[in-house]
Amino acid sequence: MEEYHSGDEVSFNPDDASNVVKECIEGIIGGVDYSQNKVNQWTASIVEHSLTQLVKQGKPFKYIVNCAVMQKSGAGLHTANSCYWDTTTDGSCTVRWENRTMYCVVSVFAVAIAL
Amino acid sequence: MSDLAKEKARLLKKRGSLSSLGSHEVRAIGKTKDSISTLSYMEEHGHHDDIQRPTVQMENTYRITPSRRFPVLTVKDLLKDVLTSYLQEEKYETELCRQMTKTITEVVKARVKDLMIPRYKIIVVISIGQIKDQNIRMGSRCLWDDNHDNFSSHIFKNNSLFAAATVFGVYFE
Repeated sequence: MEEYHSGDEVSFNPDDASNVVKECIEGIIGGVDYSQNKVNQWTASIVEHSLTQLVKQGKPFKYIVNCAVMQKSGAGLHTANSCYWDTTTDGSCTVRWENRTMYCVVSVFAVAIAL
Repeated sequence: MSDLAKEKARLLKKRGSLSSLGSHEVRAIGKTKDSISTLSYMEEHGHHDDIQRPTVQMENTYRITPSRRFPVLTVKDLLKDVLTSYLQEEKYETELCRQMTKTITEVVKARVKDLMIPRYKIIVVISIGQIKDQNIRMGSRCLWDDNHDNFSSHIFKNNSLFAAATVFGVYFE
């Protein structure tokens, strides 16, 4: 965990988190087709690996990672989020990824902890 | 000559204000400069004292456990009520559902705030999708304090659409 400095606040960087999440998604479901038997495993792996990579950054945050994997059949999906937190330190990012047979939407929320 | 006398009188007055210092300076005529520097030092010191007054530092409370925990069941009932009232009679339309997700997140956040849970940060996630013979899997994983942080979720379905709502409560110690 990062050392605490008086007056030196750490803020969440959405771009770094976005890159981390994209790499995880590519690594797990990058070249496969949709399979109902494996979708549970994929969802769990994506959130697990994303969270692990975020933790390795060593920043003083609590993380919440959401993942939705949806088959491509022409159906619509809308997602929205609303937060009540400290905007100077907390942040979120959303990654939308798709291939030929499925969509994947991952949302990451980072909430600062007081040290 | 009269001007010089006035200046001397002024210096004498200043020395008098310093009481004991003044009496000492009267005999040693050559220390006029020292008395002036002493005066400036006194003024600076007083001014320095004034600066420190407004900066009152608040002490830490050192409270690390929440006085009231996240009410999971209450929030679940709240989600059920909001989703039912907003989506019970609706059919899936792209523009309508796009706006509905934003409206419902704001409504849920406002109602959770009304519960007045102290020192909890709130994150609301709503997904509304069309039922069209597709398969969807949603999951979440968190890095947090398992004792104090919690979440509540609810899934609503009707003929043409489904909605998944989740509220995370993260304690800020």
